[in-house]
Amino acid sequence: MSLIGFLILFPLAVAAVLLFVRADWPRAIIVGGSAVVIAVASIVLAVQNIGTAYAPIPFASHFVDYIGTAISIAIAAVIIAFSVKYKNRWALILAVVQVIGSLVFEFGFAHLAPVAEGLYIDSLSIVMALIIGIIGSGICVYALGYMRDFQEHEPEDATDRRHVFFAIMFLFLSAMYVIVFSNNMVWMFTGWEITTVCSFLLIGYTRTDEAINNAFRQIIMNLAGGIGFLVALYVCAIAMGTLSFQEFLFKGLMRPDIASIAVCALAFAGLTKAAQMPFHTWLLGAMVAPTPTSALLHSSTMVKAGVFLLIKLAPLFLVCTFPSLMVILVGGLTFMLCSFMAISQTNAKRVLAYSTIANLGLITACAGVGTPEAVWAAILLVIFHAAAKSLLFLCVGTAEHHIGSRDIEDMDLLFERMPRLARFMMLGIMCMFIAPFGMLIAKWATLVSFVDTQQVVLILLLAFGSAATFMFWAKWLGKLSGIAGNPDNVELTVHPSEWISLVLMACIAVVACIALPIMSHYLVEPYLTGVFGQLGQDIAIDNLWISSILAVFVLVVLFGGVNASKKKRVGVYLAGVSVDSDTRTYRNSLSGESVATSRNLYLDAIFGESRIKFAGEIVCAAIIVCAFVASGVFPMAL
Amino acid sequence: MSFVYILIGTVAFAIVAPIVGCLLAGLDRIISARMQGRVGPPLLQPYYDVRKLMEKDDVTVSGVDGVYMTCALVFTAFAGGIFFSGGNLLMSAFIITMASLFFIMAAYSSRSPYAELGAGRETLQVMSYEPMVLLMAVCFYMAAGSFNVADAFLLDKPVITIIWPAFLGFLFILTIKLRKSPFDIAMSHHAHQELVKGTTTEMSGKTLAKVEVMHWCETVLFLGWTGMFFLWMNPVSFVIAVVVALAAWFFEIWVDNNFARVKWQAMLKSAWLVALVAGGFNIIFLMFV
Repeated sequence: MSLIGFLILFPLAVAAVLLFVRADWPRAIIVGGSAVVIAVASIVLAVQNIGTAYAPIPFASHFVDYIGTAISIAIAAVIIAFSVKYKNRWALILAVVQVIGSLVFEFGFAHLAPVAEGLYIDSLSIVMALIIGIIGSGICVYALGYMRDFQEHEPEDATDRRHVFFAIMFLFLSAMYVIVFSNNMVWMFTGWEITTVCSFLLIGYTRTDEAINNAFRQIIMNLAGGIGFLVALYVCAIAMGTLSFQEFLFKGLMRPDIASIAVCALAFAGLTKAAQMPFHTWLLGAMVAPTPTSALLHSSTMVKAGVFLLIKLAPLFLVCTFPSLMVILVGGLTFMLCSFMAISQTNAKRVLAYSTIANLGLITACAGVGTPEAVWAAILLVIFHAAAKSLLFLCVGTAEHHIGSRDIEDMDLLFERMPRLARFMMLGIMCMFIAPFGMLIAKWATLVSFVDTQQVVLILLLAFGSAATFMFWAKWLGKLSGIAGNPDNVELTVHPSEWISLVLMACIAVVACIALPIMSHYLVEPYLTGVFGQLGQDIAIDNLWISSILAVFVLVVLFGGVNASKKKRVGVYLAGVSVDSDTRTYRNSLSGESVATSRNLYLDAIFGESRIKFAGEIVCAAIIVCAFVASGVFPMAL
Repeated sequence: MSFVYILIGTVAFAIVAPIVGCLLAGLDRIISARMQGRVGPPLLQPYYDVRKLMEKDDVTVSGVDGVYMTCALVFTAFAGGIFFSGGNLLMSAFIITMASLFFIMAAYSSRSPYAELGAGRETLQVMSYEPMVLLMAVCFYMAAGSFNVADAFLLDKPVITIIWPAFLGFLFILTIKLRKSPFDIAMSHHAHQELVKGTTTEMSGKTLAKVEVMHWCETVLFLGWTGMFFLWMNPVSFVIAVVVALAAWFFEIWVDNNFARVKWQAMLKSAWLVALVAGGFNIIFLMFV
């Protein structure tokens, strides 16, 4: 209990302090020190509570309720101020609707359903706490070096607002802890809204027109989701008489007809936050922000809050047909279509963004299926995705500062001097999609659960989406594959804090892959027994261990074997007399010099955004609307 | 326990598959030659070729392609070991994809324009056949009740009786997997490629020898997948499986010699359409009929 309080309040205090620290050195010490404290506290919490199926923590306080209300008002004030300043009508309207809605709720309805056990801890919240505490704070450390470079790349007269940036990052962590430990849905909602407004501020950090536009797109979509959450609160308080999430789950299982609309509204909130189609554009837009923001949003916070909520709702999806169908179809379609669109992207961050959305789609679909097997897969996907994606974002961010480009096509010659970074990037990519790494094992479990629950559509979406996944990762990996052979590491200008975080992320990814069987036993299975009372038939343990061994083998090769070659080097074949084989220049038939160039395949004619995006948005939007109508009109239909 | 089986299987596969694959490759060349009205090389010609490659000087463009190819070989051996020790079909399919990935990386690593083009096309090939492989595995799982290949020997009747559409779909993508015309767009065994030698342009000596050996092992593994459809309790089924696999292999050689190479668009679209129709309908049939 005290540790949970500490995890929520400590980052908050750090954020408050950081707001007033403008010098580099003190900031580095505070951020570094508190990152370690948060990570250690999260680990201690995990060790103390390992194997906990579900433990409610009696805690109720009107004081906290009022603080929550004050925060809601403050959030609304911030959004309203920005939307007036930048003249954005929709954000203004939604913010006003939301603040009125939550005030009416707080003073009119919240007393109908007091919650005695405001906090809780279970194995899923332990997993989330570890992700937030280790990966999230690791990204904060990375931001130290990155933001210093970033500020140097800015124009001379740009104001230094890094103190705000770091304060928001820590506030974000605190809000995430609120979400994962609150059983009181109103508190959870408060955390939910803080993350929304924090990402708004982080995305708009540079205050360029593009940044502001994308920040507003984010806030509009997520405020809509927040209103969905609010609707669910009203339904829970009025129709179901509870605001405790645990009781909501129990009562929902008894009376799915009443719960259906609340589940639908909550799932809607989850879908917006998890950036599922048609709301995926906010996450793509978030790329304009400095890279640590992207890393934080994509891997350990924000979108993970969305899928966290969906996974929590999984048992109810088993009994509520329409919300379940909505989540399954939107998730599955998002997985396939965003994997397709990732093929056509040359911008590395955009590829990462599409891949994040696609993976969130898969997690969403698993949550929607709702069986123990599917939830097992969903939680593992969350873990592996967090580790691998943060590593990749940090690599791309560092690369961008040193080769001056985010374009994958540029990641060959310019990148030649950074073989170590290239290897980290290769590790991250491999973790994302290929056997024997954990992500693929989780995908496998997903496939099995789809087959067992007879989800034909999902099987097909998964089959074609995975094939596309192979394409876009493999060609990126190919671009990097030649660099790893260069023996000299000359990336001298990379800030040490960036290396520390990169190594940390790489270690987490590796440990997660190798220790998969152990992690499954101690972290994921207790949650499943707690929620479902049983375990799913998971993948045979032998296969997990084979994967572990093969993963170790790949790692040894990647970090030990590739640079050991003592063979004679020769130039490439260019179908002509080579002038300079390093630059691929050869003598052509007119005795002039030609440079041979090649580009990867981007298949724009087939998988271009222009072909897929609009259709996908329309279909997914239609699915969501139909699910709401159906849950409202025929709640009894099962 | 199955873990030990897999390790034994892997070692056995690593020894036996190259021999069988080499003989098949030799036969392939003789049969192809006869189809074209030639006499063809001796049966052991592929072996002589590889032996000669092994004796060549070690030269390389990138310095790492040899390491990547070793990885590709090791993963091929594991995929074969898992499959032939009666292990998990899906695992075998995933691991062989890993081998393809390392092959692709070896090609990319030279940064030669020809090899890069070949590598890009190789990824397209993988993307083309991957959905059907996955759906085939799902169909097998639904028909046999398990992904374990060994469980096929517990069945009353072979899975082919209910998943023949998936089998036909698999035969279609087998052409891509065995790098046969009309789908040999990344690298061809025939000399008339517009890409010089595609993926293997910059490989020579031992590295190229590894590519050949990997190809032999792959052939054995994929023919094993083909035979798997025909296994059931009866020990005779094993003979039937071998006969069918060889017939499928002969069919692929016939296709190879009678069809002109297509563009990648045609390959991708046809392979995905086949996967959607054959795989999709088969799964729907198994689930709801």
